[in-house]
Amino acid sequence: MLNPAGLSLDQAPPIAVPFRFFLTAPLFACAAGLILVWEGDGASVSRWTPPALAVVHLVSLGFLTQVMCGALFQMLPVLAGAPVPAAVAAGRWTHGLLLAGTVGLCVGFVGGGWLWLTGGAALVTGSLAIFLGAIGRALAQAASGSQTVKAMRLSLAALAVTLGLGLTLVAYLSGWVHLDRFPEWVDIHLAWGLLGWAGILIMAVGYQVVPMFHVTPPYPRWMLVWSAPLAFLGLTVALALTGIGLGPYAAVGIGLSILSFVAFGLMTLGTQLRRQRRRVDATLLHWWIAIMAALAAAVLWLVSGPSLVVGVLALFGVGVGLPSGMLFKIVPFLCWFHLQSRQVATQRFDYRIPTMHGFLAERAARFHVGVHVAALGLLISGASIAPGMVRLAGLTLAISSALLAGLLAHAAMVYRRHAAVLSAGASTPASKIGGGTSW
Amino acid sequence: MERLLDVRELAPPEPLERVLDALADLPVEHSLRVLLSREPFPLYGFLDRMGYRWRTERKEERYEVLIRPGGGPPRSPEV
Repeated sequence: MLNPAGLSLDQAPPIAVPFRFFLTAPLFACAAGLILVWEGDGASVSRWTPPALAVVHLVSLGFLTQVMCGALFQMLPVLAGAPVPAAVAAGRWTHGLLLAGTVGLCVGFVGGGWLWLTGGAALVTGSLAIFLGAIGRALAQAASGSQTVKAMRLSLAALAVTLGLGLTLVAYLSGWVHLDRFPEWVDIHLAWGLLGWAGILIMAVGYQVVPMFHVTPPYPRWMLVWSAPLAFLGLTVALALTGIGLGPYAAVGIGLSILSFVAFGLMTLGTQLRRQRRRVDATLLHWWIAIMAALAAAVLWLVSGPSLVVGVLALFGVGVGLPSGMLFKIVPFLCWFHLQSRQVATQRFDYRIPTMHGFLAERAARFHVGVHVAALGLLISGASIAPGMVRLAGLTLAISSALLAGLLAHAAMVYRRHAAVLSAGASTPASKIGGGTSW
Repeated sequence: MERLLDVRELAPPEPLERVLDALADLPVEHSLRVLLSREPFPLYGFLDRMGYRWRTERKEERYEVLIRPGGGPPRSPEV
């Protein structure tokens, strides 16, 4: 259940805390696109090429993890009624170190040498340690009854495992430790990051935001209780099998985890098709595209299809698309919520603040969906039948990400303009500010 | 006089936006009855600070919130 006490005006962190993450995250996806433009089909020969490793980490750490960190700093007080201790300082350090660490790690991958690689890994570790400490403490203090809180805890544990595995791999690449069956450890690192950290967090947030934002029936109780723990259990089995030298059998655990996500995806789709509100907005389109991509990835994985395509579907189809769709709801909502709070605090009821669409126009968000679909299609083609498409795919990804960055920056600027007027105490008619209703 | 506002099919934060807009246009001595599909917890914080009084009732699949001007400093909800 949503914790009503957490939905107060006082518990939300300053808007700068999540915005810092949201506004810089698309730039990393844009950089990933530009690397593909630069490298061309050389990047798609295999997932082991240095540019491919850099692209994967720019998207998974620079974009996906950054958005998820910002969202958790913001949403924990709201969804779990658990304020994050020292949110401003923790947010600033998590963000700064993650930014620098991701750049360092990726420079290390594309030939910068072990100093960049280990330096980047150290900064990412510092960032995620602060994040895990702050968010972990808030989650430990949250009421334990909520399935969202339980799933968030599992997701955070998965992040810690992913980080530990990643550090082991960096130590191996730097020649500090010996590791048998290196590819198996890379696979398990990837599985914990994508399915554990990102996937389980998407489940945790989806439990709440799908019924809320799309006015659907709630998820059935068995789904809320079992989907995240089963996904986590499958990953644990896979890790244990890899650890005792039975890596080829780890697919059993991964399969269990994937099955849990397939059930969650199908249930989400069914729930959304029964929504009360018939309008199809950009966020809903992103959900559907991400679910289709996840299901296609699961089927391809099951039939031992091309691993590059499975990776593209999971990383770009789900990992870029779904957070983008959620940002289209979260960012305008935060702008509106914080302005509304400021208006009430200053008793400026003569002043009309914009509605959600005044911060981020639906038409522009839909255009972004179209560019994202084009980028996804081209990336899939480039990873399978048409390697010559990689440059065009990278360019489309860069355009899609730059568009996302522009839309979010525009929302932030509209927020700042109105916040400045409210703070100054000057009375300005709504028509001059650009507010009003658009539905 | 009482005004009725049905926001059951709207997604957050549109119900809040509509309610706050309706309150801004509400004539003095009028009250506002709002029909919602979920209990509007965030609304209560706004109403409290704006000095309104309210009463929430759950009726089968919907919530009804009756909002009246407080006529003084902010007060606690009636229910």
